[in-house]
Amino acid sequence: MPLKKNLRKIAIIGSGPIVIGQACEFDYAGVQACRALMSLGLEVVLINSNPATLMTDPDTATKVYIEPLEFDHVKKVLEKEKPCAIISTLGGQTALNLSIELSDRGVLKDLNIQLLGATADMIRQVEDRNLFSQMLTRLGCKYAENVLVKNFKAGMREVQKMGFPVILRPNYTLGGAGGGVAYSLEEFRGRLSIALSESPSSEVLVEKSLLGWKEFELEVMRDARGTFVIICSIENIDPCGVHTGDSITVAPQLTLSDRAYQEMRDEARKIIEEVGLETGGANIQFAVHPETGERLVIEVNPRVSRSSALASKATGFPIAKISALLAVGFHLDEITNSITQKTPSCYEPALDYVVTKIPRFDFEKYDGVEDLLSTQMQSVGEVMAIGRTFKESFQKACHSLEKREEDVSVIFSEDGLTYPNSRRMQFVLSALRLGYSVEDLHTLTRIDPWFLEQFGQIVEMEKYLQGASNKWDEGLIRRAKCYGFSDRQIARHIQAKEQDVYKYRKKKNIRPVYYKVDTCAGEFQSHTPYYYSTYWSAGNEEQKPLKPRLMIIGSGPNRIGQGIEFDYNCARGVQQFKKMGYEVGLINSNPETVSTDYDISDQLFFEPVSLEYVREVLHFFKPTTFVIQLGGQTPISLAEDLTNEGFVLAGSSLKTIDLAEDRGQFVKVCSRFGFKIPVNGLASNFKTALKIAEQVGYPLICRPSYVLGGRRMALIENEEELRAYFQRYRDFSESRPCLIDQYLDSFLEVDVDLVRGPDWSLIGGVIEHIEAAGIHSGDSMGVLPPQRLKPAVCDRIEKLSLALAEELQVLGFLNLQLAVREDEIYMLEANPRSSRSVPFISKATGIPLVDLGVSAMMKKPAEEVSPEQYNWKTLPLVCVKGVVFPFKKFKKADSILGPEMKSIGEVMGRAEDYPSALTKALISSDFKLPAKGEVFLSLRDKDKPLLLSAVQDLIGLGYTLSATGGTARWLKSEGIKCDSVRKVHEGRPHCVDRITSGKIVLVLNTTSGRRSINASFGIRRSCMDYSIPCLTESHAIQAFVLALKERGKKDISVCHLREKR
Amino acid sequence: MAPGILILETGEMFPGEWGGGEPRAGEVVFNTSHSGYEEIATDPSYFSQILVMTAPQQGNYGVSDEVWESDRMWIKGFVCLEMQSPRLEKSWRERLERNQVPLLTRVDTRRLVLRLRDKGVVWGAIVPRSGNSKSLALDLIRKGKKKPKDWTAAVSVKVMQDFKGEKETGPKVALIDFGYKKNILRELLKRCSYIRIFPSQSDIQDIKRWEPDGILLSNGPGDPADVKKGSELVKKLMGWKFIFGICMGHQILAQAVGAKNYKLKFGHRGGNHPIEDQLSSKIYMASQNHGYAVQENTLPKEVAVTHRNLNDQTVAGMFSKKNHFLGVQFHPESHPGPRESGALFDLFMKKIKENAS
Repeated sequence: MPLKKNLRKIAIIGSGPIVIGQACEFDYAGVQACRALMSLGLEVVLINSNPATLMTDPDTATKVYIEPLEFDHVKKVLEKEKPCAIISTLGGQTALNLSIELSDRGVLKDLNIQLLGATADMIRQVEDRNLFSQMLTRLGCKYAENVLVKNFKAGMREVQKMGFPVILRPNYTLGGAGGGVAYSLEEFRGRLSIALSESPSSEVLVEKSLLGWKEFELEVMRDARGTFVIICSIENIDPCGVHTGDSITVAPQLTLSDRAYQEMRDEARKIIEEVGLETGGANIQFAVHPETGERLVIEVNPRVSRSSALASKATGFPIAKISALLAVGFHLDEITNSITQKTPSCYEPALDYVVTKIPRFDFEKYDGVEDLLSTQMQSVGEVMAIGRTFKESFQKACHSLEKREEDVSVIFSEDGLTYPNSRRMQFVLSALRLGYSVEDLHTLTRIDPWFLEQFGQIVEMEKYLQGASNKWDEGLIRRAKCYGFSDRQIARHIQAKEQDVYKYRKKKNIRPVYYKVDTCAGEFQSHTPYYYSTYWSAGNEEQKPLKPRLMIIGSGPNRIGQGIEFDYNCARGVQQFKKMGYEVGLINSNPETVSTDYDISDQLFFEPVSLEYVREVLHFFKPTTFVIQLGGQTPISLAEDLTNEGFVLAGSSLKTIDLAEDRGQFVKVCSRFGFKIPVNGLASNFKTALKIAEQVGYPLICRPSYVLGGRRMALIENEEELRAYFQRYRDFSESRPCLIDQYLDSFLEVDVDLVRGPDWSLIGGVIEHIEAAGIHSGDSMGVLPPQRLKPAVCDRIEKLSLALAEELQVLGFLNLQLAVREDEIYMLEANPRSSRSVPFISKATGIPLVDLGVSAMMKKPAEEVSPEQYNWKTLPLVCVKGVVFPFKKFKKADSILGPEMKSIGEVMGRAEDYPSALTKALISSDFKLPAKGEVFLSLRDKDKPLLLSAVQDLIGLGYTLSATGGTARWLKSEGIKCDSVRKVHEGRPHCVDRITSGKIVLVLNTTSGRRSINASFGIRRSCMDYSIPCLTESHAIQAFVLALKERGKKDISVCHLREKR
Repeated sequence: MAPGILILETGEMFPGEWGGGEPRAGEVVFNTSHSGYEEIATDPSYFSQILVMTAPQQGNYGVSDEVWESDRMWIKGFVCLEMQSPRLEKSWRERLERNQVPLLTRVDTRRLVLRLRDKGVVWGAIVPRSGNSKSLALDLIRKGKKKPKDWTAAVSVKVMQDFKGEKETGPKVALIDFGYKKNILRELLKRCSYIRIFPSQSDIQDIKRWEPDGILLSNGPGDPADVKKGSELVKKLMGWKFIFGICMGHQILAQAVGAKNYKLKFGHRGGNHPIEDQLSSKIYMASQNHGYAVQENTLPKEVAVTHRNLNDQTVAGMFSKKNHFLGVQFHPESHPGPRESGALFDLFMKKIKENAS
C-alpha cells in the first residue's frame, strides 16, 4: 500500500539533549525520517530541544520547533500545528514516553492525531516488566527468573528468595538508568532505593543475573503487510552483565550455528507479532547459555534505537528512513533498496565483512569514578570499524578510539579480567602475551573462546613481528596489515619508526583497497560508494570522479568536549560543498552520526580518523583539497602531516593554524590588537610554580601543557593547594611543564564565532556565558544576544575579533573565547575552525554559518556571498543555551563545575524575553523547577552579598530556607529566617540526611578550595542521586531564581525557527 | 601452510592458502548465507560444485554431525577468506580434510564473487600453487566436465528406502530422490505415516504399486534439461496424485508440462531472498540454492505462477489445479536459512487430503 491517504502533516518528536544512553543516533534517525517524508511531499513538524542536531536545522523539516520535550510545550506545538499524526518511535525513550503521556492525557484524541509506529498499549507491553513477562510466558519464550517489586520492603524480602547476584531494572527508564548489578544484600539495599526513585512508576524488576551468558541482539523490521526481516544480528563480546551500549559488539553474529540462529529468528518473529508492532524497526536482546545453548529473552525495544543506527551503518540498510516510510503506509516490497537501486527492501542484508563497535568511555574526566561496567550505560560515544575479518575490524576499531594506549601491554589484576571494565580487552591481550591460555581466560572472563582465539592470533602476530625485528619481511608485514595492525603498532614491534613502515609499504605496494558496503555480499551491483578499507585484496572498487573532489575529515567518536556539534558542522558542510559543485567525500568512524549516513556525502569512508587511515583514503580518493575545519580538534591535528604528504588544505593555511594554536606566537599577536592575555607561566616543578604564582597571583589555574581538553585542570586558591597539586601530579618536567594561568575571577565570559572570506568577514554571533569565567565554556550556560555585556564593549569585541582574523589570515572559521570586565578584554583561547557553538548560533540567529564558513574557505568573494544581508543582532528571540551533565550515571562523580569540561549535551530555550528563554532551557536540561518547599543553602563567603537579592526573591516566592552554620548565621544577620542544619562532620541528622529524606527541593551550594569541595561533596552527590536540582555557581543561581520568579507569569508560547514575528 | 590457487576455466586466478584435501574441479558458485556451512556442504544439490562462502570467517562454531543434509559431502572444494584454527577437536577444517575436500583460504572472495556475478559462473579447480598449476587445473576441469550429464542420477539413492512417519493418521508419501536433503525427509516424517524414497530413475509401476497418497519431488543438482528419465517419470505421474516439487523437483514439474528452464547468470544461493507467496499473500525470506529457473513464458496457461523472487521477479513457485501440483524453487525445509516457508509442507498435506476426497 502506498502513502496513506489521510496524511498531510506529520510531527516527529526528537530525543532532546545528548545524554548517556541517548546520543546523536537519534539525530541520524530523525534526519533520515524527515528527508524521507519530505521527499513524499508531506509537511513535517519537528520538535526537539537540542540545537546541536542536524535535525533542528531549519532546512531539515517544514517547521522546526526547538522547544522543551515536555508535555505542556509539546501539547502547545501540537495545538498550533494540528498535525495528522505523530511518529513516536524515532526519538528514543524520550519520545516514546512523551507519546504515551500525550495519548494517556487525551491530547492525541482531542486533536485527532494518529500515533504512528507504536501505540501506547504496545509500548506498555514491552516497557512494563510485568506485562512483558506475561507475554513471553504466553508465547512459550523463556526469560530470566524475576520479580517486580513496588516498594523497598518487598524488594528486600523477594531478593532473599532469589540469591545473588541479581540485576535491578527500573521500569520505563532510559539506558538502564538507576539499574545495576548487586552482588550482596548490602549492595542491593543501596541500589534498590535509588532504582525505585528512578522509575517513573516506582517499579523495579529484580532479576536473577545472567552473568556470563552470551548476549545477542536482533535488529528487525516489520511492515503492515506482515513482512518480517532481520536487518542485522549483533553479538556482544562482553557476556551478559554489561549494558549493550557499553559492550564491544560485532555484526553479524559469529558464534551461533545456523540452527541456533534460525531458532532465535523464529522467536523474534513470534514476539514481534505478539507485541503488535504494526510497522517499523525493533530490537530484541537474547541471552544464550554458553554450554547448553538455552536461550532467554532479555528485552524488546519497539523503536529505532542506538543498535539500529549501528545496524544501519553496519549493513547499509537505512532502518530509520524505512521505518518512517512504513509508518506512513508503504510496504517493504514497495521501497527500493537505495544501494542496489533495483532490488526491494524486503530482504535480509548479507555481509561479507565483519563489523566491530567499541564504546568510548571518559571515566578519567570524572574524579573518583570507578571504571566498572554494569547494566547501566556509562559510555559517552562509540566507534565502528569494518574489516574483512574480526581481527582486522577489531584492530581498526581500536585505532578509531583515538586513545593511544590501546595496544600496549598493561599491568592488570585478574579482577580486571573478571569484572567488566573499559580496558578489559586490553587486559585480555596483555594476559595472552603473558601466556594465559584461552581456557584460563574463558574461565575468568566468560568471553566466548572463539573471540579469545582471535585475540590470541593477534598476539601471535605480535610475536612474529618482534622475532623479525630489524628484518623487513614483506610477507609478514602484509599479513600483519591483514590482521589490522597499524603502521605504528608494526613499527613498535619491529623496532622501527612509523614513517619507515609507511615508506616500506609504499615501496612494496602494500596498500589497502577500498571495498563497498553493499547490503548483499556482492550479489548485486552497488551504486552507492560507501567504502571501508582492507588489506585482504589487490583490487579496488573505484568510481570515476564526476566532478572536482573534496574530502571532509570528520570528528571521530563522541567524547566529552567533542560531540554532535561537529557532526552538524560536517553534515551541513557536505551539503554546501555539494551545492558548490564538488564531489564530496567524508571520512569518519562514528556510527551514531548523520555524517556517516551514506546518503549524505557522495562517497563515505568508514575509517579511523587517524593519520595512517586518512592519508590512505586521500591517496585513493585523490581530492583536489581536504577540509579540516568542520570536525573539531581531531582533523586539525592531522593538517600538517597531510599537507606534507602533498595534499592541499582548504581554507586557513597551516601558518594560520599554527599562529592560533601556538601560545607563544599567539600572545604576541593578541597584544598587538589590544587583547589582554591572562598572566601565565610554565613550571616544571613546584619551586618554579611558586615563583610564577607570585607574578600571577591567587587564585590561579594549573593544567598540564600537553594534555588536551582541560584534563587535570584545577583552580588553585593558595600555596598549600599549589603544593598539593604538584604532589598529586608528579610527572611535570622541562619538556612537559605545567601551565599556570591567572584566574579571571568573576569576569564575564563570551564566545565569538566568525567567518572570514577573501574580501569579507562576518560575526556569526557573540554568546554571553551565564556563569562567570572559570567554568569551562562547554559547561556554561549561555545567552544570545548578551544580556550584561555593554553594547559599546560588544562592538569593540566584534571589531577586534575581525581585525585579529584579518591578521591571522583566517579563511573560514574562527572561534574566540574572551573574558571581559569593565573595559578590559582578555583573550582566553582561539580555535581556527568551526566550534561547538556554531550550530547554536546558526539556529539562534538564522545565519547559515556553516555555509558561509565553507564559502569563505573556498575563497568565494563578497559579491557572491553578500555577507551584508546577515546581522546577528537582529535576532527575533532570546536564546539560552542549557547544559546537560552525566553525573548521575557516574556513581561517585562530583557535580561541581570547573575549568575541565564535564557536560555531555546541550539544549536551547527560545522565547521573547530572557527569563522565559531561561526557563525553557532549564526545563529542557531536565532541571525540576520546584513550585514550593525548602531550599537548602551552603554558600562561600564571597558569594553571599552577590546572592542576597536572589535569596530575598526566594523568600518572596514562598520558599522556606535551611542552611549550614556560616550561611545560616549570615542569613539571620540579614534578617532572613532559616533553619540551621548540621554539616556532615557535625553529626547526624545532617544536611545530607535532610536532602535524602526528600524534604529539600533545591540546593544552592557554592564552594571553592579543595578541602571545602571535598567536605561538601555529599551534598551535591545526594542531589544527583535523588534528582534534586543543585546549583554550584553564583551567576547560575541568579539566573535560576530569575526563572523561578518569572515562571507562570506568561502563557507558554512556542514558535518555529522561520516564524515571522 | 602451502600456497594454493583457484584457477577458473576462463583463466582468472585466485591465489590463497592450501588448507588440505586433494585437488579437484567443479563449477564455482557462491553462497551468501552467514552460517550453515555444514548443511550446505552436505546438500547433494552442490554436487560437482566448488563452494565460495561470501561470509569471510568459516568454521566458527565447529561441527555437529546431526545437521548434515546427507551422508557425505558433495562439494568439490570449499573457498573462504579465513577458517577457524583447528584447535577444536571437532573442527570444520578437519571434517573437510577427512573427506578430501580441498580447502582454499585467504582468498579474496569478494573479488571472486564480483567476477562470478559480472561474468557468470564457470568451472574452476583448486590446486596447489606450483609451476604447472594451470595445466593441472585445466586438466581436472576437462575431466570433471566429462561426467555423465544427469547429475541427479549420480546422487540419488539406488534402492528404495522405507521410513515410518511420526503421524499415524498422516498420508503415505513417495519421495522421488533427485538428491534430497535430509530435512525434507525430517519435515515429512513429522507429518506422514509412511515415506518411501524412490530412486530418480524408478519404474513408474514401482511407485504406483506402493499407492502413495502424495508425491514429493526433491531438490537435486545440475541442469534439469539433462534429467530426461526423471522428467518422463513425472510426466506420467502427473494428475494421478498431488505432487509437490522442491527446487529441481519444481523445474522437473515445469518440464513435465512442457515448459523450459534456463540457466541464471550466477544463480541464487543464500538465505535472504524475498519470496512473494500469492497463495498466502505473504512475503517471506527463503533459503535458496539454484542455478536454473523456470522460463515463465513457456508455462502452459493452466499453470499459475504463485511465488515470485522479488529480487529479480523470477518464477519461484507455481501451482496447477488441473494437474494437481505445486512447485517451489526455494527450500521450505530450510537448513540452512529462514524457516518461514515451512508451512508449505502443511499445505502439501492439505492438498493431498483435498485430492483424496
